[in-house]
Amino acid sequence: MVGKKLSILSLTIALTATLAACSSNNNGNSSSSTTPASTAPSSDASPSSSASAEPKEDLTPVTFTYFNANSQVPDIDSNQTEIGKKLEEQTGVNFKLQFPVGDVNTKIGTMIASGDYPDVLAPDTAIDKILDAKAFIPLNDLIDQYGPNIKKVYGPYYNQMKQADGNIYFLPFSAVVGDYQPAPTIEQGAFFIQRRVLKEFGYPKIKTLDEYFDLIKKYNDAHKGDDLTGFTSLTYDWRTMGIFNAPMHLAGYPNDGDVIVDMQTHKSDIYSDDDSTKRWLKKLNEINNEGLYDKSSFVNNYDQYLAKISSGKVLGFFDYEWEVDQAIQNIRKTGNDDLDYLALPVVFDQDIKDQYLDPNSFVDNRGVGITTSAKDPVRIIKYFDNMLKEENQVMIQWGFKGENYEVDDKGRFYQTPEEIEARKDNATNQKVGFTYFNYSWPMYGLGSTLSDGNSLAVNRQPEVAQASFTEGDKNILSKYGVQTFSDLFAKPDDRPWYPAWSIAIEQGSPAQIFQQKSKDVKLKYFPKLVLAKPDQFDGIWDEYIKEFSKLDVKGFETTMDGLIADKIAKVTGSSN
Amino acid sequence: MRNETVTTEASPQAVLQPTGIKRFFKLMMRQKALLAMSLPFVIWVFVFKYVPLWGWTIAFQHYRPNLGMFQQEWIGLDQFRFLFADDSFIRVLRNTIAMAVIKLVLGFVTAIVLAILLNEIRIIVFKRFVQTISYLPHFISWVVAANLISTALSIDEDGIINKVLMWLHIINEPVLWLGVGHYFWGILGISEVWKDVGWNTIVYLAAMTMIDPAQYEAAEIDGASRFQRILRITLPGLKPVIIILLIMNLGNILETGFEPQYLMGNGMNADFSENLEIFVLKYGISMGNFSLATAAGIFKTVVSFILLFSSNAIAKRMGEERLF
Repeated sequence: MVGKKLSILSLTIALTATLAACSSNNNGNSSSSTTPASTAPSSDASPSSSASAEPKEDLTPVTFTYFNANSQVPDIDSNQTEIGKKLEEQTGVNFKLQFPVGDVNTKIGTMIASGDYPDVLAPDTAIDKILDAKAFIPLNDLIDQYGPNIKKVYGPYYNQMKQADGNIYFLPFSAVVGDYQPAPTIEQGAFFIQRRVLKEFGYPKIKTLDEYFDLIKKYNDAHKGDDLTGFTSLTYDWRTMGIFNAPMHLAGYPNDGDVIVDMQTHKSDIYSDDDSTKRWLKKLNEINNEGLYDKSSFVNNYDQYLAKISSGKVLGFFDYEWEVDQAIQNIRKTGNDDLDYLALPVVFDQDIKDQYLDPNSFVDNRGVGITTSAKDPVRIIKYFDNMLKEENQVMIQWGFKGENYEVDDKGRFYQTPEEIEARKDNATNQKVGFTYFNYSWPMYGLGSTLSDGNSLAVNRQPEVAQASFTEGDKNILSKYGVQTFSDLFAKPDDRPWYPAWSIAIEQGSPAQIFQQKSKDVKLKYFPKLVLAKPDQFDGIWDEYIKEFSKLDVKGFETTMDGLIADKIAKVTGSSN
Repeated sequence: MRNETVTTEASPQAVLQPTGIKRFFKLMMRQKALLAMSLPFVIWVFVFKYVPLWGWTIAFQHYRPNLGMFQQEWIGLDQFRFLFADDSFIRVLRNTIAMAVIKLVLGFVTAIVLAILLNEIRIIVFKRFVQTISYLPHFISWVVAANLISTALSIDEDGIINKVLMWLHIINEPVLWLGVGHYFWGILGISEVWKDVGWNTIVYLAAMTMIDPAQYEAAEIDGASRFQRILRITLPGLKPVIIILLIMNLGNILETGFEPQYLMGNGMNADFSENLEIFVLKYGISMGNFSLATAAGIFKTVVSFILLFSSNAIAKRMGEERLF
């Protein structure tokens, strides 16, 4: 009896669960399908009015849907924000903004399977799937007819935006307008050194690797009892750049990944078997034997690495800022400026020009497009075009004059301390609409400069950056006689192929297998080389070279040469 | 079933005893409620266990996810050739088997020993306490567990293993445990035992409760010592469970798991830590080469199949308990 009851109970539960799942699906479908339907009448009316030579803009209210996979924030109607309200006044268009919950690929996959898309879509990493599914409409003709501002902003990049069939399907977010304005703080790789080391020796100028380690050694010797770690690195999972990439930067190249690319011939060269790598590892071997190197570097996982840096006992390390950001923020929270780090452009020799800063580059594999489900692409493209007017770009990035930013008598934008504080507050950013508008829309790239010389991005405006520096920041900047942290670095040279690491290599191709194999060999031999007794170094290096040359180095370089040449042709070729 | 036939004979039509298809449909009609109830599960098994076998075909293709079934390029056994010809394959296979054997042997021995020891404890509170403590690590995910282990093994100030060993003067300077390839199998074995020993004892403890207490009483009267009782009564009582579990585990021998090796592995111990799963991840899934991943999966299945059937056959030959 009990068994029977139990089985009935479990059956009921199973049934209810199935039913619930079905019904929630239905709800999802019906709500998404009603939205476009309700807007249909107004959009039906619009084509006729826009077709007639349009002396007056069509401002009939209309609501479109926009799914933005780039960020995870609460859904909202764009006219609920101050910026969105202003844009609606100008165009009559309101957007129902939707953001993913959970896995983006699953969500996009479902859209593709059902063929039911939002009007506007920014699919983030799933963009290849959307393009494969032919879910975006070509924008070429629309831009020609209705997009003078789009043409102005994106025109120079048309070649890179075109897909294989010659059509433009989406608008990326990194089209730089005006002069390129680099970020004032370091966002890329650098040799980091703790500020107390510099302080103790009167802020010396450090250019070479030897100077860098000499200073760390001097400091460590003077503080023997403090249990300090001289230098640490990370090789965990894919986070191996801290040890693999340093020779490239030390030799005066920006981050092109596995290769360095000659400025003149545009030939790529694997540097892992070059003298630069040998020199770097030999130096690490040397400091390891002086007890300065953190032996657990090669076994630590990412958490352990961050914890180590957060402890404030590490004097130096080489890495990319975004990788150690969490740890540095932890140190900042302690308020002890001595434990904070300064990023330095260290190179091998005095005469090498450092190239740590990323050259201006156009990221062409992210963007926003109009889908085949869109009812009225013309209104949407007009809305996009309107956004790209300079005054609207200012509003979207800076907000409203007198509320979110100020303008001094020379026309320079700045923020009061209260406004800087308010910009850090999520609630304010959502209310004004920065959260929803300052990325993932057709836009000037964040490194852009406005026609009056102000920076487009708030945090790249020197005045704002200056005002957000701490006392310690200002102090150390003045000691080195620079305005911003990036002033310590050389200006990046123009490299049309940059960054080579982002050039897609065919999945499962010999080149990709080479990348994996060479990584395996490096991961095996680098620790041996660094932790060896100094007299064994050369022997292990020869063994490593022997192993490495078994791989198809030439083949990989040839593949890269071709890909780089293609990219250069795309970037520099005349727009057609 | 027996009840069923009794009623059949009682009913007038069944006296004729229809045979073949006719009988089949008759039986089916009579059992339609049962059949209807089992149908969803048969469909479930079919959809989730048999339909995916169709996916094995991609091991023989140059598979591209955006193309349909008939647009795929067929390449025969190339993926298998790549797999078996790769230099690292032998090493990876060796690691997989070695770690599996270590895990199997160590896991069995420790779980049985712990179960017997627990069984001998008469203070129930203490027994429950030990049991709870020993199976708690089972519920920690490997991500957390690997962090705990690598912290304990580190040469920094929180590396307790090195500290204790230094204090005991067993070693003179901290050892980079995870940096020496030869240690990895041992570390993995001990970690697995720490994590799962308590959990694995449960089934043995359950099996022990099935042993008739009268046997123990008789043995005690006959003057058997405690050790003799374990050897002559408890262990033979456990034998069927042990053999069944052994056969089942042998079938999974190439499934050495992925998480501990991946999370504790690094360049320095890769020669010993890299197993088949990590190889497949590196050269298959992360390169979008699903065909290779599938080929490796098929290889594993075939090996498992052979092991499972041969161990089962051996058990049968020896007249022991067996799976089927």
